[in-house]
Amino acid sequence: MASPADLIAGRYAVDLAAPMPACGGGLSAFGAIDQTTGDDGFVAVQVQRQAPARAFALQILTRPIDGLLSPLAHGRAPGPLGKAGYFVICHTPPGMPLAAQLHPWPEAALLEQFLRPAALVLEQLQASGLTHRAIRLNNLFQAGPGHPVVLGQAWAAPPAMHQPAVYEPPYSGACLPAGRGAGTTADDVYALGIALLSLALGRVPLAELDEVTVVRRKLERGSYAALAAEERLPPAITDLVRGMLAEDPEHRPTPTLLLDPAAARGRRVAARPPRHAQRPLTIAGTPTWDARTLANAIAVEPEQGLHALRNGTAELWLRRELGDAGLASRIEDLLRHRLGETGAEETRSDAILTMRAVSLLDPLAPLCWRGLNMWPDGLGPVLAAAQDSDPSSMTKLEELIVTEAISQWAGGRPDRCDFPMLRVEARQNRAWLTTRGLAGGLPRLLYALNPLLPCLSPLTATRWVARLTEVLPALEEAVAANPKLRPIDPHIAAFIAARTERGLDGELNALSAPKAAIAESAQYRLLAQMQARLHRQPLPALAAWLAEQTRPMVQQWYNRARRVELEQRLGELAQSGLLAPMLALVEDPIGRNADAQAAQVAAAELARIEEELAQIAAGGPQRTAQGLRFGQELAAGVGLTVLAAVLAIAALS
Amino acid sequence: MAHPPKRQHSLVWLQGLGCGAVVTLAPGFAALLGALLAPGLLALMLDREPGHPMARCVLLMGMATCVPPIEALWSSGQTLAAAMNLLGDFQVLGTAWIAAAAGWLLAEAAPLGSRLVLEALARSRAARLRARRQELVEAWGFDSTGEE
Repeated sequence: MASPADLIAGRYAVDLAAPMPACGGGLSAFGAIDQTTGDDGFVAVQVQRQAPARAFALQILTRPIDGLLSPLAHGRAPGPLGKAGYFVICHTPPGMPLAAQLHPWPEAALLEQFLRPAALVLEQLQASGLTHRAIRLNNLFQAGPGHPVVLGQAWAAPPAMHQPAVYEPPYSGACLPAGRGAGTTADDVYALGIALLSLALGRVPLAELDEVTVVRRKLERGSYAALAAEERLPPAITDLVRGMLAEDPEHRPTPTLLLDPAAARGRRVAARPPRHAQRPLTIAGTPTWDARTLANAIAVEPEQGLHALRNGTAELWLRRELGDAGLASRIEDLLRHRLGETGAEETRSDAILTMRAVSLLDPLAPLCWRGLNMWPDGLGPVLAAAQDSDPSSMTKLEELIVTEAISQWAGGRPDRCDFPMLRVEARQNRAWLTTRGLAGGLPRLLYALNPLLPCLSPLTATRWVARLTEVLPALEEAVAANPKLRPIDPHIAAFIAARTERGLDGELNALSAPKAAIAESAQYRLLAQMQARLHRQPLPALAAWLAEQTRPMVQQWYNRARRVELEQRLGELAQSGLLAPMLALVEDPIGRNADAQAAQVAAAELARIEEELAQIAAGGPQRTAQGLRFGQELAAGVGLTVLAAVLAIAALS
Repeated sequence: MAHPPKRQHSLVWLQGLGCGAVVTLAPGFAALLGALLAPGLLALMLDREPGHPMARCVLLMGMATCVPPIEALWSSGQTLAAAMNLLGDFQVLGTAWIAAAAGWLLAEAAPLGSRLVLEALARSRAARLRARRQELVEAWGFDSTGEE
């Protein structure tokens, strides 16, 4: 029986002894039990540490949707091999995934048991402002023949991260897996179309090809032509698949339309076929025949593509071979604006030129930056995935953020994105990145863009720290294991800064103070404030660390008796594990002022004493002379007194 | 413009004139006082310190012992014979000279005693100050050389 601390949402226990690999849609999954009811019909899908769960979807999906493995809860629990884990709890799928029992489906079953139920789910998700982005055969489930298909969970990883390229439109399949973004419902419709086609064929098309080739083939021929043109399919399915795999997402049928397959089939959008060149333009050994494939080739091989752009080959090819003078002129204008920039700006200028050229050549293409392709909302997961494992990509991403490339990219295609919002976001990202000190930089951006990303500090490696309230217990454990550790490192500071709402700004800003003493003090105050606000439990290990660290501050007090008293009191408070009273005791500005003033008074008194002692030591001759004078006067006085007394006696007798 | 220092005139001749007048006009008193105050006069000559502190004390003590013999000379006719008669009394002369000796002793001992008292007071004060200094150093951790 799991301890209450190991229950997710206070009720779900993960049964690590019951792995359910077929239920996670490619992610690790285990059985889960509702401890309050004893019901074991749940699956816990494990979240990978650097691929955070979808916070927005988990927040929005509070009500279950029929035909979808909706999230019931999410949280941390012990994972396999004794490591910390984070799981998303869903109902157990009703049966095996479709990929496990793939065979050609009849048309009626495709429409009634697959397309309609899936379209209904997508319609409800669309109404909630969500996309699924994990529609693939190993994430679609069916209780048995004749039962409707159920969409698997899509919440335990960034959107579309585990989608094979064949299920994604070319503009998404070409992206980094973590950078595909939430996309639109049209992208779900595209994946649904691929699944429909696969079920109709009884196999996944192009499954034998690698991802890059799949994307290139789709771009060269168009998705439908590349996947289904040579297949024999029922006419209704052919029409539906053609519409669902339209290159332009705006041309794909909506989920509502798909609920009526006959209407969806009858909807035809006349898309102008792309211009095809007479002769190809070869970029890095890849022949390109139209503008989209050229854009893809430049995005994949930016240096070779840039060369073709700068030496005019691409423009000439567009004008003469492709016969698109308008596009050639726009590329020429772009080059004219960018050619003048030199020096350190040149590298960035080249990257911007490439990005803008790709955007001009293929308005559907994602943002490409020095070989990295992604959608702007995929930036956070891309950063998380590249963190600590791909420094080259991190450097490129840093450049992307610093130059606000997302804003420039969006400015080049304002009709296909929310340009004002992306511009604001790009500026905000840059501000976070350029924030100096412990609480800024890439770590800050990383946590700000990934609300459920756990803290990646080595100090919290043994735990899954995804919320602010979990920071202090993790630090307590780390410091207890190794008292020489410093509990605040850049990841911890950035995590706190990103997760805190307000109230800790002063301490977080002071972490980057140029004076080491101020920055140190800010660390102590930060820990104390966090304990006071978020974790009102004793932290004896952190308190002992704090007592050790603040010892020099105690030594700054002048009065020795007060120092001893403070050290004793500090030791007592450290045992109680309360940080704020310890800090208040050590800092105590009023007491320190009084101590300093008393020290000044004492110093002045000591100076006077020293001076007087010196005078006494040097005053021997003076005292001798004074004694002589006084003695003589005394003798004279005695003589005079005796004389007066004798005269008085004589006068009276 | 600086004034020239005043010239110090010797009054010895005037003192000699006075003494001569007394010897001439009252030889009895002169003989009596001369004998009784002889130690004081001797001290006056020997004491070279400014203000003649030792001679002053000896003379004062001697003068105190001169009062009864002078009264006795006054009442016995103030003659030289009466003065000689008084001087012949060993008690009179002895008392005067012992008093003079006591004056001398007092003049020598009083400075020594007062110096000892002052020194004791200074030492006592220094001891209290050192104790206080030690308290301050221990309480506040000041650096103190301890030199005096």
